[in-house]
Amino acid sequence: MRILVVEDEKKTADYLQKGLAESGYLVEVALNGIDGQHLALELEFDLIILDVMLPGLDGWQLLQRIRRTSSVPVLFLTARDAVEDRVKGLELGADDYLVKPFSYAELLARVRTLLRRGPPRAVELFQVADLQLDLLRRRVTRQGERIVLTNKEFALLHLLLCREGEVLSRTYIASQVWQMNFDSDTNVVDVAIRRLRAKIDDPYPVKLIQTVRGMGYALEAQS
Amino acid sequence: MKLWPQTLSLRLALMFALSCVLLLGGISVYLYQSLHHEIAWRDDQALAGRIERMDALIEDSQTVEALRRRPQLYENMLGNRDNFLWIVDDAGNTQIEINPVNLPLPVLPRNDGAIQWRTIDRTMPIRLAWRRIEDSSGNLTLIAGKLLTERNQMLAAYRMKVWLALATGGGLAFLLGLAISHRGMRPVRDLAERAAAIDAQHLYLRLEDTSQASELRALRAALNQMLARLEAGFAQLSRFSEDLAHEMRTPLGNLMGQTQQALGRTRTVDQYQDLLASNQEEYERLARMIDNMLFLARTEQPAATVRRERIDLSELATQLCEYFDGLAEERGMKLINRARGTVDADPDLLRRALANLLVNALRYGAPGSAVGIDSRMQGDKVEISVCNLGEPIAQDHLPHLFDRFYRCDSSRNQPGDSGGLGLAIVRSILHLHGGSVTVCSDKEETRFTMLFPPHGVPVQLN
Repeated sequence: MRILVVEDEKKTADYLQKGLAESGYLVEVALNGIDGQHLALELEFDLIILDVMLPGLDGWQLLQRIRRTSSVPVLFLTARDAVEDRVKGLELGADDYLVKPFSYAELLARVRTLLRRGPPRAVELFQVADLQLDLLRRRVTRQGERIVLTNKEFALLHLLLCREGEVLSRTYIASQVWQMNFDSDTNVVDVAIRRLRAKIDDPYPVKLIQTVRGMGYALEAQS
Repeated sequence: MKLWPQTLSLRLALMFALSCVLLLGGISVYLYQSLHHEIAWRDDQALAGRIERMDALIEDSQTVEALRRRPQLYENMLGNRDNFLWIVDDAGNTQIEINPVNLPLPVLPRNDGAIQWRTIDRTMPIRLAWRRIEDSSGNLTLIAGKLLTERNQMLAAYRMKVWLALATGGGLAFLLGLAISHRGMRPVRDLAERAAAIDAQHLYLRLEDTSQASELRALRAALNQMLARLEAGFAQLSRFSEDLAHEMRTPLGNLMGQTQQALGRTRTVDQYQDLLASNQEEYERLARMIDNMLFLARTEQPAATVRRERIDLSELATQLCEYFDGLAEERGMKLINRARGTVDADPDLLRRALANLLVNALRYGAPGSAVGIDSRMQGDKVEISVCNLGEPIAQDHLPHLFDRFYRCDSSRNQPGDSGGLGLAIVRSILHLHGGSVTVCSDKEETRFTMLFPPHGVPVQLN
């Protein structure tokens, strides 16, 4: 999968390139709008990450030019989170946006979603190691033993299973499970994870919920 | 209006002078007209008297002929060069004529009745009185006249004097008015001088009441109120900048310190990871603070608007209770949702405001106690309140609780707290909705109340 990053801030471009490369993507970086346009029109990409404030040719103009010939998914980055900006970006044909400063985990999650293409698989039965979640019967078992979860614990586990192996930021978890779309400055998510762990991880030798320091949580069976 | 002077005292002096000139002019015109009228009336009476005396003389003398022979009878009656006398018979022959400047005989309509007067101005202005009488030798017309030149000259001189007096009076009135208004304006100048002396460094100064002028008292009071608001705003602003710098310095100091310390020598991978994760926490704290600051700046813009929707309070409170349940249980606390009814507000903003109040209640509530969410309809206003048990907040803290970065206890700076912005955000969200937020705290409970005005009725922000 090839990703084009158009970003004039050198440090941001650098860490995006490193991070995305580590996640297994081929990354090209353009440090201004003109180079970005050149690369976007010359090469084939699966995703373009576009900064709005660019020298030469700004993100909006570049987006318009890309959209003339291609329908490649575009994720734009903006430092101004004014509503008009987001609306403008989405109207011009961008697929998603992130407001700076964003968390890297957040960016990675969005990138994965955009690259997944098509609706997510309608999975009804999840299995990771010896953990099973049956969506229809709302049943969770581990080693065949039934585990009783509250609604929100179930929703949280479901979210982690849907994005198995991905690091989910606290903000993202709060917005998905509780529809809290702002940072409430509390450790609510940590508390919820701790409670979920007490039920599905603590009694068992293999731990499934992983804490990724500074980023968030991920569910995976570590080898 | 370039001609209109810009200084008040000049304006007042001009208006004063103008009204004086108008008044003096009116009086002068009246006096002049009276004088003119009086003189004309006297002249007319003199002419009429002359005609009557001539009439009597003619009667005494039997004939005009006899009278003509004795001119001393009437010449000394006339005396000077201004006066005229004609006695004309019906055939148009002049019987007697006294005509010092040789004016032609005036043509006058026949007048058998009382004496008539007329002013004729051919070569020279002349006032005439005439009457036809019956005489033994036939009818005679007696015409007496008086040249008006002298009178007109006198009146012209008088007019000239009046104009001069008027001009002088106007000028004097202007100077007098200037002096008076200059003096009258002194309290205003004093006020301006004292106001000018108050700059950013001296905002604590107030304008003292040195004059008794009630107009200025109102102005002074208004200025003092403005100064008080400015002082408060200025103090808040500078304290805010200081607080902001201080709040940012703490995480930055941590970041710099621990990074430098770690770079001092080679460490294990684990140690580096610890450092980075710890740094990440500080970064998040900074990012959160900046987000909150931006949020405040944006909601406090005068042009900021809200998108209102009808919100079910019970549903919203339930959602928030679910979110904070885990946190409450950890502290042995309980969330009790008693909210009912609806409110028209921006759902995201209301959720945020209520969440901030709940976080606050959970943070400062006594362990093991309950936190309640209540709602009340007050007429068409909606009240939503959050209460908790616990140490009451000291009365002197209450007015400042909603200030940015205000903390009752500076040692209460807990990790992951909102940086002292949570309640400020609640207040600005309520302001945005035209509402308000209040707090009361006593031994029984601490209660924060958000008051939403009826939808569509903008409420004056304070």
